[in-house]
Amino acid sequence: MIAALWHNLDYAASVILFCIGLYAVITKENLIKKFMGLNIMETAVFAFIVAIGVVDGGEAPIMGPGVEPPFINPLPQALILTGIVVALSTTALALSLIIRIWRQCGTIEADELREVE
Amino acid sequence: MIRRALVIFVLVVVAIPLMLAMAELPPHGSPDAPPQTHVAPYYLEHGPEEAGAENVVTAVILNYRGFDTQGEVTVIFTAMAAVVAVLVAGGAGVPAERTAAPTTTPVSLIVRFIVRVLAPFIVLFSVYVILNGHVTPGGGFQGGTILGALLIALTLIMSESDARALLPQRPERLLQAAAPLTFFAVGMTGLLLTGDYLAYPHSGPTIWIATLMLTVVEIGIGIGGAMVVATIFRTMGADR
Repeated sequence: MIAALWHNLDYAASVILFCIGLYAVITKENLIKKFMGLNIMETAVFAFIVAIGVVDGGEAPIMGPGVEPPFINPLPQALILTGIVVALSTTALALSLIIRIWRQCGTIEADELREVE
Repeated sequence: MIRRALVIFVLVVVAIPLMLAMAELPPHGSPDAPPQTHVAPYYLEHGPEEAGAENVVTAVILNYRGFDTQGEVTVIFTAMAAVVAVLVAGGAGVPAERTAAPTTTPVSLIVRFIVRVLAPFIVLFSVYVILNGHVTPGGGFQGGTILGALLIALTLIMSESDARALLPQRPERLLQAAAPLTFFAVGMTGLLLTGDYLAYPHSGPTIWIATLMLTVVEIGIGIGGAMVVATIFRTMGADR
């Protein structure tokens, strides 16, 4: 398994990044830190999917005179561009909700919020 | 202590199956892996002459998967609308002590000077990125984000009324919706030209029309994206 993982080091790195994000989501009480953890998890997924499209020795998929195959797979990049924009949207909405919680309750610590109710 | 053990247990339970799955995947970078052998070769081969964009990523985003991107620009517009609704609409009911005198530090002279000097170059760069999205890396979203960052930087160094005067109030609403509106307009143009919504003229002598339509969509996405990013930032910073 270790030998197989050594070939897929990029994928293994994104799993580690995913776990770091998950750790932050589970353990941090501050809502902004929780959401930063969620963003790290998103980034891990993006890195993983972009890494799938990599071809050894490939060039950027921009045609023109003087470029020749192999090319990097353009499809994961296009999908992840969409994903990044949606991640931006969710981040903006979540931060505004956190600002609203701060205004209403005066705290953004999850454990204190449970007592406020 | 039990809590910490539980957290480690959860992380291990998540990580080990994922690592096993990663070890089973085809080797990283191999040209024969399934993602590289199905639809991607078609895009790489026919993209430039069929879609009117030498950058195949742009061809995929705006031409082959245009519907997807139209939904995406609608999502960021909706997110901006939701941020405004959450933060502006519910202003009442704030306890008094929390609205009391926010302390803002004035921005230093150096920061103000540098932003003012760099602003024209940032605008130039963002226009370049937007307009060259079909031949170089870049495109509407990337250029729009650069433009939006410039708007945010200018908002930071100016007083609030100056920053508001930077963009007039009336077309602002239209500019925020620029991306979905441009997509709709170009989609209808495609309907008139080819008989299908969001279809572009195929390869042949009329391919320049497709390139022109792609460029119009890029400009729309760029303006709309910049306005959305700047509006979200301003709405969040309005009650500093």
